[in-house]
Amino acid sequence: MAIPIITAPTDAATRLAGPLVPLDLGGGGLSAAETCELLEAFGEGSRDPGLGLAAVAHAVLATVPMRAFGTPDQRRHYLPRMASGEWTGAVSLLQTQGASLAPTVNAQRAEKNWILDGTVDLVAGAPAAHHFLVIAADPDGERTAFLVDRDTPGLQVEPTGSGAMPSCLWGRLTVDSCRLGDDAVLGTPRAAAREVEPLLAALDWVFTCAPWIGVMRALLGDAVADARDRHRFGRPLAHSQSVRLDLADMAVQCELAAGMLHRAAAEFDVGTRSGARPSYEHAATTRLFTAAAVRSVTAAAAHLHSADGLAERAHRDAAFFAATGGGGEVLRAVVAASVLELG
Amino acid sequence: MLRIDHPRTAHPGIAARAADTDTTGHIPAQNWKELADAGYGALFHSDEDGGSGADSDAQVAAMEALARDCPSTYWSATVSSLLCAKLIATYGDSTHRPLLHALISGRRLAAFGVVETAAGSDAGTYQTTVRPASPPGSAGPAGTGFTITGEKSRITNAPNADLAVVLARRERAAGDDGPDWCLAFVDLHQPGVHRYAIPHMGLRGMPWGGLVFTDALVAEADVIPVPLDELSEGMTWGWLLVSVAAIGIAESALAASVAHAGSRVSFGRPLAHMEGVQAQIALSRAEIDAARLLARRAAAERTAGRPARSLIAMLKIYATEMAVGVTERAVQIHGATGVTAGHEVERLYRDAQMNVIGAFASNRLRELVAENLGLGPAVYAPFDWVRSTGLAQDPVGLNGPSLEGT
Repeated sequence: MAIPIITAPTDAATRLAGPLVPLDLGGGGLSAAETCELLEAFGEGSRDPGLGLAAVAHAVLATVPMRAFGTPDQRRHYLPRMASGEWTGAVSLLQTQGASLAPTVNAQRAEKNWILDGTVDLVAGAPAAHHFLVIAADPDGERTAFLVDRDTPGLQVEPTGSGAMPSCLWGRLTVDSCRLGDDAVLGTPRAAAREVEPLLAALDWVFTCAPWIGVMRALLGDAVADARDRHRFGRPLAHSQSVRLDLADMAVQCELAAGMLHRAAAEFDVGTRSGARPSYEHAATTRLFTAAAVRSVTAAAAHLHSADGLAERAHRDAAFFAATGGGGEVLRAVVAASVLELG
Repeated sequence: MLRIDHPRTAHPGIAARAADTDTTGHIPAQNWKELADAGYGALFHSDEDGGSGADSDAQVAAMEALARDCPSTYWSATVSSLLCAKLIATYGDSTHRPLLHALISGRRLAAFGVVETAAGSDAGTYQTTVRPASPPGSAGPAGTGFTITGEKSRITNAPNADLAVVLARRERAAGDDGPDWCLAFVDLHQPGVHRYAIPHMGLRGMPWGGLVFTDALVAEADVIPVPLDELSEGMTWGWLLVSVAAIGIAESALAASVAHAGSRVSFGRPLAHMEGVQAQIALSRAEIDAARLLARRAAAERTAGRPARSLIAMLKIYATEMAVGVTERAVQIHGATGVTAGHEVERLYRDAQMNVIGAFASNRLRELVAENLGLGPAVYAPFDWVRSTGLAQDPVGLNGPSLEGT
């Protein structure tokens, strides 16, 4: 398998593959808050933002919509194998922002089937995926979520580079007259705009932040060690006030972003218990804030030279992180829509 | 959608008088009455200490609500009923209970005297000293308490407080190997006390100024030796109260911005439809939330009695500087009205800056955070390390030294 840490058959890895899959379906049965802590630790320990994103794409973005909107058959079919790591699911990061981008996959009704045509790029985990969560638009623009297995005739996956987070493994998905039955529809037909899409957006905004909290903590740890080891002007960097103040600000950003993440994640758990919906505003502010925190922390750590090149990779990947999830263009508009009660 | 309500007006009368409080530089008596009636000061203290024992979230919410209504009143009341009362509850004993109750109920007002005229955060420069009123061998009767001499400056409530909790050096008798420092609870209504007000940029309704002690009397029970390190944990109540002031000020500035953006029409549409305005509002929303979440966490830790010095330091750094940014955006969204004297955001803009400075300025706290990251204590050395590297000298020109002196 291409993502060994996610799919290795150990207990710990099983939890990473399926933390949000319920226990009775073979998953870890963790809460959203616990899953975030797991992903934070994975980001800190793996020191790899791309691998963290791969874990989120499979264990959250591909898993939770199925848990939330899947039929009993769909849940029984997919979730146990996703939780064990036997199957991985993939989602395009261009399909996690509702209709803010024009749809690139079309769905046509043909008797009792659906015919899908189109191409979607930036599919996280595509080269290794067993199946894909794909949003497709009707001729009249209504959108439906589909679960498309890799062996569906007419489906092609082309591995691509993304320029960042290479360890996530990226691909372009092309569907050419793919014929799907109603059992491939996730949720209500033509209702993705009010079902799967808002959920996917909030999941992306919240959970992709979690590995980054860990990466920021790893960078902070590296920076503290560096400041204690290296000298400038004949004295340890740790004696330099400007170094000390920068490190303090890095620590502050870590704590603030973690606080935002924990609030947003906990709302998924409250919702699980009470049926109340997590706040889209809180999800979007979490991503908006964390993206800025990640940019500032990686910039402050850009001088570090660790053997594994974390600072360079994180600097590159932070720019990518800040541009996905809709980037500031979408996130600011979404937060403003909530605060101003407009939009 | 799950929404945690941002505190709104809790004291409409105090909010309605906030502009006047700023203009006149005086907190109306009615404000004090309304706070006492609401039991504001009791929230911060346990039942045993005469409080109402609110949980930490409720405390932060009540603090922010008052800070939103009137930052000046908030500062004055909270310095007395939270910070000073906590110090008395922590370091005092049963003889101080009437004093504690008086502060909690708002019947008396306290000031916290730390900073002196020579320096703000550097305790090494402080001169104020407590010494026995009649040292052994002197003419007067022994054992009649202590006197305090020195000047504390830029102190909230100094012009009108009834009592000051003062950080002072201890003049120790031979054989006394206790701490070098003490807290002295000083009655300010006595001949040895002179006080003065200092005009200030923001929080103009908050009384602020200096206290000059000239052999002012302090009862023996009111001088409590305290190690300086330990005292800084007590001061974190002050950092917390200032952080919450900043959050309340920022939230008020954002609320004013949202209201203005919704009603002000420019280029044929309300400002709220301008993406530039939306971006400012979205950023403010995210930053205020981040600060408030950290405030709740820090307050929970502190209220539970766990060490929270580093966390509260982080909070104060971020929250106070954040509020300066948010109020600056608010002024920009309001345009010319925002820089007009008497307008709410003009006042909030001035108020926000005070929080960055008060109760340890940001960079002092960054040093503390850095130390807790494992970097060791701050190192202050004479600045002499650049010249020896050869970097601080003018280089030769493109043709080298050959033309020099010709």
